[in-house]
Amino acid sequence: MTGYEIASIAPEIVLSAAGVLILLLEAFAPATRRAFTVLAALATVAAGFAAATMVQGRSFAGLIEQNEITIVFTAVVLISTLLGLLASDGWLRREGLLAGEYHALFLWCAAGLLFMLRATELLTIFVALETLSLALYALAAFHRRVKMGTEAALKYFLVGTFASAFILYGIALLYGETGSTMLPAIGERFAAGGLGPLAAVGVVLVVAGFAFKMSLVPFHAWSPDTYQGAPAPFVGFLSVAPKAASALVLLRMLEAAGGDWGTLVALLSVLSMVAGNLLALVQKDVKRMLAYSGIAHMGYLLVAFATLTPASFDAAAVYLLSYALMNAGAFAVVTVLYERAGEQHLISDLSGWGYRFPWLAAALSISMLSLGGLPPTFGFIGKYVVFLHAVGHGDVWLAVIGVLTSLIGVFYYLRVVYTLYMRPLSHEPAGTLRDAWGGTAAVLAALATLLLGVLPGPILDWVLRSAPGP
Amino acid sequence: MSWLELLFGNTLTRLVFFPTVAALPLLFFRRDAVRAIKWYALAVSLVELLFGLVLLATHLRPDGTFAAARDLVGGAAPEWIGRFGIRYQLVMDGIAMPLVVLAVFLLPFVIAGSWRGIETKWKGYAASMLVLTTGTLGALVAWDLFLFYVFWEVMLIPMYLVIGIWGGERRVYAAIKFFLYTMAGSLLMLVAILWLAWTYAETAGAWSFAYEDLMRLDLPLGPQLWLFAAFALAFAVKVPMFPFHTWLPDAHVEAPTGGSVILAGILLKLGTYGFLRFGLPLFPHAAEAAQPLILALALIGILYGALVAWVQVDWKKLVAYSSIAHLGFVMLGLAAFDLVAWEGSLLQMVNHGLSTGALFLLVGMIYDRRHTKQFADFSGLAKPMPWFAFFLVFSTLASVGLPGLNGFVGEFLILAGAYRAVGWWAAAATFGVVLAAVYLLKMLIETLWGPLDREENRSLADLGGREIAILVPLAALMLVIGVAPEPFLKPMRADLGATLETYQERVAAAPAAGATLREAAPAGEGEAGEDEELPRAAEIDDAEDVAVVSAALAPTAPPAAPEAAR
Repeated sequence: MTGYEIASIAPEIVLSAAGVLILLLEAFAPATRRAFTVLAALATVAAGFAAATMVQGRSFAGLIEQNEITIVFTAVVLISTLLGLLASDGWLRREGLLAGEYHALFLWCAAGLLFMLRATELLTIFVALETLSLALYALAAFHRRVKMGTEAALKYFLVGTFASAFILYGIALLYGETGSTMLPAIGERFAAGGLGPLAAVGVVLVVAGFAFKMSLVPFHAWSPDTYQGAPAPFVGFLSVAPKAASALVLLRMLEAAGGDWGTLVALLSVLSMVAGNLLALVQKDVKRMLAYSGIAHMGYLLVAFATLTPASFDAAAVYLLSYALMNAGAFAVVTVLYERAGEQHLISDLSGWGYRFPWLAAALSISMLSLGGLPPTFGFIGKYVVFLHAVGHGDVWLAVIGVLTSLIGVFYYLRVVYTLYMRPLSHEPAGTLRDAWGGTAAVLAALATLLLGVLPGPILDWVLRSAPGP
Repeated sequence: MSWLELLFGNTLTRLVFFPTVAALPLLFFRRDAVRAIKWYALAVSLVELLFGLVLLATHLRPDGTFAAARDLVGGAAPEWIGRFGIRYQLVMDGIAMPLVVLAVFLLPFVIAGSWRGIETKWKGYAASMLVLTTGTLGALVAWDLFLFYVFWEVMLIPMYLVIGIWGGERRVYAAIKFFLYTMAGSLLMLVAILWLAWTYAETAGAWSFAYEDLMRLDLPLGPQLWLFAAFALAFAVKVPMFPFHTWLPDAHVEAPTGGSVILAGILLKLGTYGFLRFGLPLFPHAAEAAQPLILALALIGILYGALVAWVQVDWKKLVAYSSIAHLGFVMLGLAAFDLVAWEGSLLQMVNHGLSTGALFLLVGMIYDRRHTKQFADFSGLAKPMPWFAFFLVFSTLASVGLPGLNGFVGEFLILAGAYRAVGWWAAAATFGVVLAAVYLLKMLIETLWGPLDREENRSLADLGGREIAILVPLAALMLVIGVAPEPFLKPMRADLGATLETYQERVAAAPAAGATLREAAPAGEGEAGEDEELPRAAEIDDAEDVAVVSAALAPTAPPAAPEAAR
């Protein structure tokens, strides 16, 4: 291994090593438990530095590639890791579950995600996917005493392995047809033409597999149950990071396959936007509502994929950055406000709490308005970039469906704001709701959402590689 | 101008953002320090009014015309999102100015008028009102369509909160209805803005959302129709025009007094202003094609609003439906494409803000006392409350259009101009004036005169000093506009004329076969009306700014924009 190769996987090394260290501390110095969150957060920040200073290029015989886009997606993953870890601390203490495994699994999952989003070879992608998936399954079941948690994990596991099988089968077919598992080589073979129908089947299978991971309709059935049962701070991570990395792989696969996949993508997009928003409308549980809203958001994201250009990657990156901040912020507040983790998280439980917890309520409201795509929040900028891409590339109808369905979205996001501020106080919180880290994560995410919405210039300059547009 | 001057100088930026900045210290007030919060909010609104008047005074020329105010840094509108050519471009010309002044003028009355009506959560109420002011002022002076859209949406949330938190019985229903109706229209406008900007970028080779740049874009009729439809829907919901009006009565009835005043006084004007500024001039051929439809809907609005107002038994509902009728007149004037009618329309927007604002304040005052707005609960109020009766009659007559008061001037100009341009449409609309007299005078008869048969009404206290102090300036202004409208019409004339001229020039040419870019208007024509005024505009500012300002306003596009495609 050359020095460059080691440097190129430095973020993953840092994350994995920190995970191992935390496990060892758990075994031999359990008194240090209280510092695990800080330790894991520091490791995430360190991984961020390593990723930021990385030189662009390919390593490991071209299996791993770092470029301007992977660094943005890395940021998405690490931001949601950091916010998820901070939000987890109070929850773990409250539930009496503070243990090293949680942090270790979290970090390893992040490492798997970083590998996956930078891999340019299908089997490497698959191995990374399995690494992170196993960590995700375990984390989903982390609340051992709660039945709903076990159910959540089991559903996620069964569907997840199913999706993995899809992907693996697709890879096999692609290899059979093109003779390679390297995405650039596959892209060349597709461009040369003359491939059999099985190659297309392979692409569809891989796309379907990652559509499971992104919980796109009709592959979404697992996500509401899993979100409802899994630990809230973990769901804040689950709903962003794996979806972001999967979206990048999906884009790469579509790019390599060339040709016209626009109709398929547009179909997935419309189904997700319509079904996700309509189903979110009738939810009473805030986590289920956010699960369906997450489905809808992946639908919006796909609007930029319908006409695939290099700018699609940029638009997706901006969108996912905004989504990472606002969704993680929302889940952080949910974690802090709902003390009894095993029960339902009814929206109506928040009645009148806007005046009891002004900071948390403001953070949640900002996240909701941003998810609804209202200016001046970062969520609006994300939608702007995605819809602009569609409008400019002849997919005006997709953008119109996007804005009309996001109107439905505004309705149920506003319901949270309305419950917080316009309903009488239903009950006092049972505990003290003291969760410094969770509150910090929520307020930070909300502030960033607002700030980047008001001054999006610098971040757009960073993410958008070339001048967008015609 | 430097950045610092932009923030602290006599600029639009200060005018737009001062209320929001001033809302931040509210966080540090104790929740129960209601008196302090009220006085603080009132002080802020008075300072804001002062800023507005100073800005007006410095840009009003000795001959009574108005020199557009622009916020420039280093001679150009500062970049906001450079990637997409989005600029922080604030311009207040003679079209926006009357509404901006109206907005800052009404704010202190809104705060003072809520003194008793708002009983809880004053902190949030004051903050919402101040942020709302930023949103409305920003939307009025934004000359970058992206920036305009952002301000346009920013208005929604504070208004949603004002209706939803401090409103009446069915406040939540009304708030959500208001939000969703308005949002539905504006989201399609967003798609239209994106399409427009993309087409501009394709044609010109560089990004811009600037109003002046997009005005130079000539489009084929097909796209024009779609884009106009999207813009028109957003604005028609806001006005509200006939089939999109159902949110308004609900919002007005449930909103607290201050919310109603702002809603009727300013927010609705954003819709008509949007037509005047963006909808009609940007898509001239589509606007021309849609003229019969707009006229028909405006006429329906006038007659339908009046007829429905006639049968109302609730004070606020009556005023709400009368708003629909009055704004129908404004739309009629706009759709006439006649300078006199346009002057009347713009003046009528201000008039309606004043008279309807006063009416809502009066309803609020009686509601504070009796906690009901039903006509059935009142009669013979003139006896215990002579001052109330005086102001109610005064505002009503202004609203009816009694000669000598402001409403007459606006309606007369609209009808005269419209008759010249579209003939019988205007003649039919005249019935609306008669109907307005019918339903408004009926309201006066039912509430002010007749037997004083209810015990509760006998002991009603007349208006106090605070309430009279609120109403006197409004009434005075109604009288002044009614007696001497020319000083109010003069500042808007040049810009209205230039906009209309550009519109007519573009309509006269056949629609383009494909998207093309017109040359930047040479001096002496169309938009250039402003350019020739420049030296005089500069006289008012510091001498060193002369070069900067005139360089920025030179007829050629700013350096960021590329040369015309042709």
